[in-house]
Amino acid sequence: MLRPSLFALAALVCLALPASAEDKPTLTLYTYDAFAADWGPGPQLKAGFEQSCGCTVAFVAAEDSISALRRIQLEGATTRADALVGLDTFIAGEARATGLFAPHGLDLGGLALPAPWTDTDFVPFDYGYFAFVYDKTRLATPPASFEALIAEPDSFKIVVMDPRSSTPGLGLVVWIREAYGDHAPEIWAGLKPHILTMSRGWSEGYGLFLKGEADMALSYTTSPAYHAVAEGDDRYAAAEFTEGHIAQVEVSGILKSSPHQELARQFLAYMASPEGQKAIPETNWMYPVVDLGPDLPAAFGPAPGKVLPVDEAAVTADRNAWIEEALAALR
Amino acid sequence: MPRSAERRLPHRPLRLAGGAAAAVAIAALIATLFWSILGAAAGGQGGGAGADIGYLIYITTLQASLSTALSLLVGIALAWALNRLRFVGRTLVIGLFAAAIVTPGLVVAFGLLAVWGRSGWLGGLGVPVFGLGGVVAAHLILDGAFAARILLARLDAIPELRLKTGQSLGLSAWRRFAVIDWPALRGSLPGLAAIIFLLAFTSFPIVLLLGGGPAVQTLELAIYSAVRLDFDLALAVRLALVQIGICAAIILVSAALTPVPSSLDRPATPRWRDGPAARALQWTVLALALAGFAAALLAVLADGLAGLATVLGRASFWTATATSLGVAALSAALALALALVVAAGRAATPSRPLRTLLGAPAYAYLAVPAVALALGAFLFVRNLGILPDAAAPAIVVIANALLSLPFALATLGPPLDAIAQSRGRLIRSLGLGGTRQFAAVEWPLIARDAGLVLALGFCFSLGDLGVIALFDTHDFVTLPLLMSRALGAYRSNDAATIAALMLVLTLVAFIALPALFERLSRARA
Repeated sequence: MLRPSLFALAALVCLALPASAEDKPTLTLYTYDAFAADWGPGPQLKAGFEQSCGCTVAFVAAEDSISALRRIQLEGATTRADALVGLDTFIAGEARATGLFAPHGLDLGGLALPAPWTDTDFVPFDYGYFAFVYDKTRLATPPASFEALIAEPDSFKIVVMDPRSSTPGLGLVVWIREAYGDHAPEIWAGLKPHILTMSRGWSEGYGLFLKGEADMALSYTTSPAYHAVAEGDDRYAAAEFTEGHIAQVEVSGILKSSPHQELARQFLAYMASPEGQKAIPETNWMYPVVDLGPDLPAAFGPAPGKVLPVDEAAVTADRNAWIEEALAALR
Repeated sequence: MPRSAERRLPHRPLRLAGGAAAAVAIAALIATLFWSILGAAAGGQGGGAGADIGYLIYITTLQASLSTALSLLVGIALAWALNRLRFVGRTLVIGLFAAAIVTPGLVVAFGLLAVWGRSGWLGGLGVPVFGLGGVVAAHLILDGAFAARILLARLDAIPELRLKTGQSLGLSAWRRFAVIDWPALRGSLPGLAAIIFLLAFTSFPIVLLLGGGPAVQTLELAIYSAVRLDFDLALAVRLALVQIGICAAIILVSAALTPVPSSLDRPATPRWRDGPAARALQWTVLALALAGFAAALLAVLADGLAGLATVLGRASFWTATATSLGVAALSAALALALALVVAAGRAATPSRPLRTLLGAPAYAYLAVPAVALALGAFLFVRNLGILPDAAAPAIVVIANALLSLPFALATLGPPLDAIAQSRGRLIRSLGLGGTRQFAAVEWPLIARDAGLVLALGFCFSLGDLGVIALFDTHDFVTLPLLMSRALGAYRSNDAATIAALMLVLTLVAFIALPALFERLSRARA
C-alpha cells in the first residue's frame, strides 16, 4: 500500500511546481478554494480566457477569500499573485486600505448591479442577497420580517453563523444594523430564543437546516435555485423580509506588484463580460453582474423588493463594535 | 518510584539522547512557528480583542473538564464491559468505538443529530442536543470510546496467572475490579485525561455547531477571528499562549500523578465470569454505549449510501483518496517512529521531571491552535525561501504525525515502561544491547500496540483537514478537503458519502493493522 501512495505523493509534489518551460506568461490568480474547484467557476473561466489571451491561468486557492487576502498581505510586494479574485463587500474596504491594489481602469457602466458601480479599485463578478431559506413543505407561511420572526413561538428555530468566523454570519450583523441602526441590539435580543446555534461556517449551518433541525437558515436568496436546477427539488424558498435585504457583492482586484497588470485587467474584464458571466450562476449560485436574459435559469427569480445600501466605510470602521453588540445581546 | 527501580533499568544513554532530541525538535518547531508569527505581526493593523475572552476561557475550561471527566468514566465502564463479554461481532464493535476519535468531529456531530436531533431516529424523545450538554455528548462519543479502546488494551494485558489467583480467591465483581483491574488502568488514566482535555479544549467547529450560540463557545474561535478577521497576529499569539498555558497546567498535573507500571500479556480468552448482577450491568453498559456511540456512526454510514455511485464515479474522488492514503501512510509511519523514540527515551529514565520534559512537547503541540499552526507553518516555510505551495504535502505529513503523537505515546508509553521495569533485570543479566532488547524483548510485546498506533496515526491523518488554510489547495486535495468542499457547494449528499467512506477506511485500518502487526511479531518470535 505504501509504494503507490508514495508515488502519488511524489507526483503531487511535481504537479505543485509551476510549469515554467513555456514562453507564455502565467497569470496567477489568488482565490478561494470553492472558486477554483472542479464544480466552481474557475475551470470554465480559465478555459475561456486562455483561448484568446496567449497565456496560462493558474489558480492559487486558499481556504477562503479572507485567507487569500491575508496571504497577500503576508507576502507583501513579493507576492506571486497578479490578481485576487473573490473579495466581498465586507472585506473590500480593508483590502483597499492595504494599498496593495491598483485601480482597475475599466469602464463598468454597463453592469447590472443592485446599485450603479462606482468603485475604481475592484471589479464585481457576482452578487447575492442574504436571506433566510425555508422548506415550503414544512413551513407554509414564513415570517415576513425580523419582527415577525421574533414574534414566532420559541420552538421556531433558525440557524445563523458566527460573525467572527463566517462571512454570512458577518452579513447578518450588517443586515440588521443597516435595517435597524442603533436598535439592532433589540432585534438580536429578540432573535435569541430562536437561534438554534451559531455555526462556524455556512456549510455546516445550512447542513443543519437541510437535516431538518431548524425551520430556517441564513443563506442567500439564490440558494433555492441550486436545489431547483441541480437537484430538481423545488421545495426550498427564501423568505422576503419587509425591512429589505442587503447584497454581498464579490469583487476582484489587481495587485500593484504584478508584472502582468494588463493581462490581469483583461481577465477581470472577461469575467464581467456576458461570455464570462455565463460561467457564474450555475457554479457559484449567485446572480451575474450583467443581464444574461434567457441564459439565467428562471429558478433564480427576481431580486427582493427592497434592497438596503451597505456603507463600506462604516462596515470597515465599526464592524467589531457591531459584532460585539450583537453577541452581547445574545449572551 | 522506589529507588530499587533505578537499579533495575538497563543503562541506555542512546535512547535517552534520542528521546531528548525528538522532544527538543518538537519544542523548537513550536517556538519557531510562534516566532514566525510574531515576526509578521509588525505588519498587522491590530483589531479589538473581543470583550468576552475571559468568558470564553471559563466556558472552554468548564466544557473541557466535563468532557474529560465523563469520557474517562464512560471509557472505564465500557472497557470493563468489553473485557468481560464475548459476543459475535465484538471485534467490529471495538473497531467502531476506536474509530470514533479519528472521525472528523463534524461527521460525528451530524451522526449524533441523525439519532437524537429534532428530525432524528429518536428525535421524538426530545433529548436536548444543543448547548453545553450537546457539546459534551459529542465529545463523549469521540473521546469516551477512544478511552475505552486504550483501557481495554490494558485490561486485556492482565496476566492470566493473576486472574487465576483472583478467581481461586473467589473475588466479587467489585473486588475484582478494585484489586485487579484498577491497578492495570490507573497508569493510563493521566495520559488519557491530558489528551482528552486538550482535544475538548481545542475543539472548534463541533462546539459552534452544537453549542447553541455565544453562551457555549470556545477560545479557539477568538484566536481564529484574531488571525482571519482582525489580522491582529500579536493578539492571536497572546491568546494562543493563554491556551497553551492552561493546557500545559493540565499536562503537568497529569504528569505529576504517580506513574503506575502496567502489566503485559497477550489477550487470553477469559474463563472467569462475573456474577449475574455484574454481567447484567456489563450488558447494559454495552447496550447503552452501542445506542449512544455506534448508532451515531451507523447513521453516518447509512446516510452515505445514497450518493455512493456518484462519488465513486468521480476522478477527483480517486485522486483525493490516493493523496489521503499517501499522506496518511507517511504520517502514521513518522508518528510511530517518533513515539517509539520518545517512549523508549522516557522508559530509560526513572527521573520524573525528565520524563515529563521528554513527553511535554508532544502534548503541547496538541494545544497549539490550528489557525496558528497553519499561519506559522506558512510563514516558516516562506522564511526558509521555499515556495509554500510546493512544501504543502510535506507540511501536512509532519503536522498530522505530530497530531497523533500524544495518542501514540499514551498507547506505547505504559507497555514500554512496564517492560523496562519488569524485565530490566533480565535484560541486564543477559547483557542485551539496545537493539537486541528491542527486537527480542520489546517488539514481540508491543507489536499489537504499535499496530494500534499506526492505525491511529493513519486515521487521524485521513480525517484531518490539516494546516492548509493558507496553502494552495488547487492541486493538493485530500478526502476531508473534498468533503468540506462538497458541503460548501450545497452537495451534502456527496459530503455524506465521502464521510461514510472515510469511516469505512478508518474501521478497516483499526481492525486490520493491530491484528496484522501481532501476526508479524509472532512470525518473528
